[in-house]
Amino acid sequence: MSDITRHLPILRLIDVKRRFLLGETTIDALNSISLEIHAGEFLAVWGPSGSGKSTLMNIIGLIDSPTSGEVHFDDEYTHMLDDDELTEFRSKKIGFVFQNFNLVPVLSALENVMLPLQIQGVAEKESKDRAAAALVDVGLERFRDSLPDKLSGGQRQRVAIARALVVNPMLVIADEPTANLDSENSRMVVDLMRDMNRARKVTFVFTTHDQRLLDHVDRKILLRDGNIVSDEVMA
Amino acid sequence: MKNMLKLALRGMMRNRRRSMMTLLAIAFGFSAIALFAGYTHNVYDGLSRQSIHGEMLGHLTLSKRGMRKEGRLDPERYLLTAAEVEAVTRLLKDESHVVMVAPRLALSGLVSNGRASTIFLAEGIEPEAVLKLRSGALTDAERKSGKFESMRMRLDTEHPEVVSLSEGLVEMLHLKEGEQAQVLVNTLSGQANALDVTLGKSFNTGNAGSNDKFAFVSLALARTLLDADGRADRLTILLDDKSQTEVMRDRLLAKLKAAGFDVEIMTWQELSDFYNQVHGMFDMIFGFIFSIVLTVVIMSVANSMSMTVIERTREIGTLRAIGLKRSGVIRLFTMESMLLTLIGCVTGLLLTLLVRWGVNAADISYIPPNSAGRVPLLIDMDVMRTLFTFLLMGLVGTLAAYMPARRAAKKDIIDALGHI
Repeated sequence: MSDITRHLPILRLIDVKRRFLLGETTIDALNSISLEIHAGEFLAVWGPSGSGKSTLMNIIGLIDSPTSGEVHFDDEYTHMLDDDELTEFRSKKIGFVFQNFNLVPVLSALENVMLPLQIQGVAEKESKDRAAAALVDVGLERFRDSLPDKLSGGQRQRVAIARALVVNPMLVIADEPTANLDSENSRMVVDLMRDMNRARKVTFVFTTHDQRLLDHVDRKILLRDGNIVSDEVMA
Repeated sequence: MKNMLKLALRGMMRNRRRSMMTLLAIAFGFSAIALFAGYTHNVYDGLSRQSIHGEMLGHLTLSKRGMRKEGRLDPERYLLTAAEVEAVTRLLKDESHVVMVAPRLALSGLVSNGRASTIFLAEGIEPEAVLKLRSGALTDAERKSGKFESMRMRLDTEHPEVVSLSEGLVEMLHLKEGEQAQVLVNTLSGQANALDVTLGKSFNTGNAGSNDKFAFVSLALARTLLDADGRADRLTILLDDKSQTEVMRDRLLAKLKAAGFDVEIMTWQELSDFYNQVHGMFDMIFGFIFSIVLTVVIMSVANSMSMTVIERTREIGTLRAIGLKRSGVIRLFTMESMLLTLIGCVTGLLLTLLVRWGVNAADISYIPPNSAGRVPLLIDMDVMRTLFTFLLMGLVGTLAAYMPARRAAKKDIIDALGHI
């Protein structure tokens, strides 16, 4: 990846705070986070439980709004977008990979991957072709007609990665994508994400507890108590 | 849209037992409404035939204005004259849809077997008119079954002195067909007039209240008894199409008014109190059953969809995250509910056809209130009300999912994704 590309920020967080009300208690999940994420990065956010990783991912993924501060995505100040505009923005520019895979259980692997395209209104034939190609990319072409409950955890997560990538997003958010996988599958999933990052130049941001997986990333951000403790760019 | 439909259909199949229970509630509810609608349709149809043909009201009844209210007090004034009968009949017979115009003359008096006498109410009518009016009284199936032979009444075209008495009257006077009886009535001028008559075939009026006092006599005999040569108190008009009744009433009234006749025309529905009472009662019962069933269906669907939405909260969060708008979530669940309701209604329709076939084939009969005999329990297909039920149930079934779906759509994505 060239330095020019690397230094183009696709996402800027400026002094972002997120506060939750839990009964009568307030919890500051994020404290004045400022951060830039650049195109093509393969970035891990790590830290102990309750450090604010998921909250940060939700805000980066535009599925949650900060209590204060600004989020700029692809030069768009996202605060100005209403819910429908934000949803459309998300559907075109961000892919999601969830800890629990979150596949629709009554749809086959192929149909799950087609889903974001069909929500966008892409024609059936094109959706099918693109979804099939995405499944080939993640090595699951043989399982295209299988329902999620017929797939292993690793396979399900690969379907989820294919679903995230099929819309050609700028950014893929993966919140603890390996938390429900054994170490071998975890490594395979991270390798797959890394391959996709390199091959498609898609920015990946994921959270993890597993320090072993951090060896594969370009950049790692350590969060603790809602603050960025360190932000290291790997050699 | 296609994908949404597929997702809705598969979503419906996810919890098969619950979907099946909801579907059955809709199907049984729909079937109950459609069967009752079919039954009342058959009853209305039977009662309308009974009124038009059985009671020989025809479709329209024409009389001088005021005849219905004042006619009994001053019959001389309100009876149509022979010239009026002839002129009006000529005008009406030119009209399309008019099959027959029959002059009628009502009379009452005493009938005696020589030892005892009792009152009677009689209708004077031409024997040919009776045949035409009565021809539509029974359905083909009823005619073939022969069960309703007792309801048929015939006057003798060759012998005007032959009268047809109701079965109760014949029984009361211990008379037999062919025997003589005496009738006594007042003429229009108030003179007593008695004549010997011959007893023809007796009949059943189909109504317990009139089966012991009603009689039919030929118009010629009625005119002789009342000393009202060529006159009639009303003209019964038979049409070729029941649905034309209102239209024809307006058209004939206008035509007769233009020709200088001051008459009134009543429809069979206006004259048949029994039909209106039964219709009103059944409509009320139908409305009651319809409301209950509809409420049960709404509650069933709403409950089923609420549970579905709760179970699939995380899926809703996922769909919202990957780009489905709030309106899309509402559309997805209302579509699922619509599918469930429509499949339930189609199942209900099939169930209706099956039960209808079974009931109609079972040859069940019963005695309705105020009836002198048994009538068959038959169920028609009330297409209009069945279609209305289908559409309304489809609509309310779909709307029943709206509130839970809206609640789900409004949920924050992160809350939905964190739902267990």
